This record gives sequence, structure tokens and C-alpha cells, in this order.
Amino acid sequence: MRLDDIKESALMAIDTLRTNKLRSSLTILGVGVGVLTVIFMVAIIQGLNRAFADQIESLGSNTIFVSKFEPSFGRPPGPDEIHRKDLTMDDVEALRTEAPSIVGVSPIHRMLSATMRYQDKQTDTPILLGVTPYYEFVQTQYVASGRFVNDIDMQDRSNVVILGVDVKQALFPYEDAIDKEVRIEGNPYRVIGVMEPLGNFFGQSRDNSIFIPLTTFDKYYPDRPFPEVVFFVIVRPRSRAFVKPAMDEITDILRRRRRLAPGEPNNFGISSQDSLLDVYNQLTGATALVLTSISFVALMIGGIGVMNIMLVSVTERTKEIGVRKAVGATKLNILSQFLIEAVVLTAIGGVMGLMAGELASLLMNAYSPLPAYVPLWAIGLGVGISGAVGIVFGLWPAWKAARLNPIDALRWE
Amino acid sequence: MSNATLTLSPWETEVKPTTPLDGHDPSMLISMRNIWKTYQMGTESVHALHGVSFDIPRGEYIAIIGPSGSGKSTLMNLIGCLDTPSQGEYWLNGKNVSEMDDDELARIRNQEVGFVFQTFNLLARATALHNVELPLIYGGIGAAQRHEMAKKALTAVELTDRMMHRPNELSGGQRQRVAIARALVNRPSILLADEPTGALDSHTSNEIMDLFERLHSEGNTIIVVTHEHDIAARAHRVVSIRDGLIEKDERIK
Repeated sequence: MRLDDIKESALMAIDTLRTNKLRSSLTILGVGVGVLTVIFMVAIIQGLNRAFADQIESLGSNTIFVSKFEPSFGRPPGPDEIHRKDLTMDDVEALRTEAPSIVGVSPIHRMLSATMRYQDKQTDTPILLGVTPYYEFVQTQYVASGRFVNDIDMQDRSNVVILGVDVKQALFPYEDAIDKEVRIEGNPYRVIGVMEPLGNFFGQSRDNSIFIPLTTFDKYYPDRPFPEVVFFVIVRPRSRAFVKPAMDEITDILRRRRRLAPGEPNNFGISSQDSLLDVYNQLTGATALVLTSISFVALMIGGIGVMNIMLVSVTERTKEIGVRKAVGATKLNILSQFLIEAVVLTAIGGVMGLMAGELASLLMNAYSPLPAYVPLWAIGLGVGISGAVGIVFGLWPAWKAARLNPIDALRWE
Repeated sequence: MSNATLTLSPWETEVKPTTPLDGHDPSMLISMRNIWKTYQMGTESVHALHGVSFDIPRGEYIAIIGPSGSGKSTLMNLIGCLDTPSQGEYWLNGKNVSEMDDDELARIRNQEVGFVFQTFNLLARATALHNVELPLIYGGIGAAQRHEMAKKALTAVELTDRMMHRPNELSGGQRQRVAIARALVNRPSILLADEPTGALDSHTSNEIMDLFERLHSEGNTIIVVTHEHDIAARAHRVVSIRDGLIEKDERIK
């Protein structure tokens, strides 16, 4: 095909647009909405991915999370998981002493909400964590004032508590919390420290926690069942590069200690931030599939609009096609002219859809908590898709035009 | 067409002496030998042409005349390479058209045939200049040369000052002259006009026919298909078609 053919075809296309403004605008709108949908969906998925990656990053060090439950993302564990053997402090000790890629192990007992009183003030929401002195180093979260749990607290099962920033604000908005007497679930404790803030994770504060020695936790809540109390272990590998070997070592140690035969699946869960990302990606994979299907349907509708207008255009131009053929246009000439006309239509729609999609994601970023982000490749995708829609849905009408018999076409009124 | 089953019509004997039935004449611009055109209408075969043979030398001004249903339009479509015969040979400018496929026919139409239609058939939204350029676009001629050739053709039909006008800004006679310029711009072997004055008043008709005469005198081969005798009378040779056969073939000038 020569440049002149393309020019002639483009002129013809613009002609169609000019003479059928309303019809063409509606068609362009259809394609535009399709491309807008694609771009917007991509923007949402990409935005979520980026936000999640950022959040994971903000969790700090590359810790590994071990529990008897499979890693999940909001999914409640199944009954078989609940009935698994609990991890023990002996397991924790084994990890600490036997795994060379590990520099810290922090076993944690967690109670999802505890009631805490100070004088006439009360809060019911904080998460109660029973921790060891290793917590600070493993989680890289340190006390901002006062001190953390130490070995003596552990030995004595002392009633001491360290507050997360949110709890401090709730109970001691205007005064120092250190050395104050508080009650947790009715038992008396002395505040010995306040933690540094961690910030939010997906809009949820991570500072609404209170920390007591693990031994004290066991003293008061020895047999609380799941889901009220959960036991899990946070492990800190030497560095990011040691995440994978550390996970392998932990798996080996726990399989041995839990007497799993070779080939038997793990009866405990182990996950890193990377595997958290994997779980998340699985989840968004499903979301992406749904969103992609929606975009596809939107594009289909736009494409059908294109096919419709092209069929009308071919019918209206039957005589013109006859004339063009009479003066020497080949099948390929006619085919490419109508294809280009279709592609011009969809390309205009595509560019408009792109701009609308970009605008929509900007608005979403500005006015909603959900992030949106249009990556550069999505622009290529939008242009490519709109062109492809033009070719796919323009092909049949164009072929219809190309194989018109010139005699019949000339006679057509 | 009722006599489609006749093997011999009375007129064939008159035609035979002027054109031999087998072997085309290479000295002729157009050489048709025993041309049949058969259409399938349901289960019935209808013969629009049965065994037409004639020659047209270069530079002739010929009229093909006949009532509607005579096969005249079918013959015109064949001469114009819009269609191929069911049987027989058609040689145009030394090329055997009867065997060609659609794209080869398109090429031949582009190079060898200039059409002039009753209803002009100009592209409504294109300027006169662009309309005339159309065959050159499909002929693969570059923009600069195309403009030059189209302008020359429009000048030849005295439309120098109307080049940028669209068809709806032109009179019927002017539109037909644009169509003639379009037909001539590629320097085709034949100018094939189908009822060229059918949509024009008698005064304008005369102007167009005068133009044909001038073009003929300049060396163009002109074939006019018509059912009007006074239009046919302007030609130098008249071929009459009736019932799918040549009824009469006479030189009148």
C-alpha cells in the first residue's frame, strides 16, 4: 500500500466524519468508553499494586511470619488448620539456635481486643500482645520513652505494659503514661514504656496495641482458644538476601520437630513479605480477570458500534465504490480504504478514551482513598486496542465493500 | 431474448463478411470474437449476448445503439472491462481481457478505459480536481504529477476556473465535463460513454456532443452507448444491437 492510498483513505474517513457528525461522534464515544474502561481498570489494578507494594515496604524489615495457620489475606482458617498442633516455645528455641540465616526470633501471643482502664477512662479496642525482649529488634519497632520488656520481667511474670501510641493518646492524652497504674481485663499493670509510632497499613492504625511479657500473658490466659488468642512467631533473617534460605531452614526445622514424613505437606504456615505479595497477587489476579472481562465487554460494544457504522457507510457509498472500481480501484484499494476509515474512527475514540481514563484516575487519586496509576504501557495498550478494534470490526464491512460487483454497485441508487 | 435458442439469426449473415469469426485482428484496438454472455436466472439460462463479433480500429468514433433489453448495456460492460464474457474472446489494445481476474480487470480499466456515465458519478464531496485525480491515484501516480495532469485535463474541457468547485456547485454540463476530464486524464485507449447526455437538456447535450467530436478529432477513440438516434447520428459508425446480436453495423460518415 502506498502513502497516497492511505491519504486518500484518511480523506475519505474524515469525509465520513464530517458528513455524519452525530453518527460518528456516537461511534467514537462507544470506542472511547471502551478504551476508557480499559485504561481505568488498568489504572485501578496498577494503583492497588503499587500502593500494596508501598505498604509492604513500609512494614519495615524483611521479616518472616510463622504460625500453624496457612498464610492468608483475610480468609479465615479452615477447621483442619485450627486443629493442628500448636507451635511451642521449644520450637522457637530450636529456630533461634539451629537456623544460621536467622538473627532474631520473636514469639507473640496475640489477643484481638482487650479492655484497658486508667482511672475513669477505658478503651476496648487495643490488641494485646504477649512478647519477649526480642520483639523490638525483630520488628524494628522500639520504645520511644521508658523501656521495653526485659528478661527480669519475663522471669518474674511482672505485670508491666508498654503502650502503643494510639492507646497512650486514648488514656493519657495530656499526661505522661510511665509508672501509671492501669487495668487490663481487670488485672493491674504498671506502664513502663510507650512505643514509637508505626503508622497505618491500608488505613488501619498499627499503633493500637499494648505489649506485656509473654510469660505474664501465659499466666493470665493459659488456655484461651483460637480465634481469641493466636500464637505466632516473627523471624528476622540476616538481611533481605537471607529471606529465602531462612524460610528453608525454618521449614526443615519445623518439619523435623513436627515429625512430618517426606512428601507430607507442611502443617504450619510460613510467609514473608514477598509471599504476602504473592497471596495478594493471586487475589488481584482474580480481580484483574473480572476487570479485564468488563473492559473486554465494553470494547466489544464499542466495536459493534464501529461495525454498524461501517456497514451503513458501505451501503451508503455503494455507488461511490462502483465509481472507484470503474476508474481502477482494486479489491485491496477498497478494503484498505474502509479499514483505514474504521481505524481513524477508533483511533480518535482511543485517544479520547485515553485522555478520559487519565483524567478519571487523576480524579480518583484526588478524591478517593483508592489509588490509581496509569503506567506508560497502558497508553500504548489503549492506542493498540483501539486500532485493533477498528481492524477487527471494520474488516467484515470493508471486505463486503471490496467484493462488490462494480456493475451492480454503479447501478445502485 | 426470446429467440435465445435460435442458432442462426437473419442478421448474422450481414455481419459475418465484415468480421471474421475466428482469430482476432491484432491491428484493431478492440477485437471481439463470438462473445456470449449468459446469466443464470434461477434455473433458467438467459443469453444477453449470443455470439457478437466486431472490431473497432484506433481513432474511431462509434455509437452502439439499441432499445432497452437489447444487450447493449451488457456489451458496454464487457467493452468497459467491468465484466468478462461467458464465452468468446475480447482483445483490447493487444490484451486478452476475456481471461482476466477482478484485479487485472481493475488495472485494465484504470489504464485503457475512460468511463463517462449518464449520471456523471462524481464523488459528491470531492472537488473537481480531486475527482479528476481519482484514476491517477489508483494508477499510482505521484501527487505533483497528478495535479499537473488533472489540471491539464480540466483545461482541455474548459473548466480551468472551476477546479476547486464541488459537483453541487457545478451545472449538469460542467459536471459531465468534469467526468470527461476524469475519463481522459489517464490517456486511456477508449473513451466509453453510457448515455452521456441522458441527464442533460438539449442545449447542453449539444455542447457535450461537440466536445466528443473535438476529442475525436484530437485522436481519441470514442464509443457512445445510447438509445437516442440523434446522439448516435453524431458518430461515424453505428452498431445496432437487438436481442443480443448485432443487427446492423454501418459507417455513416
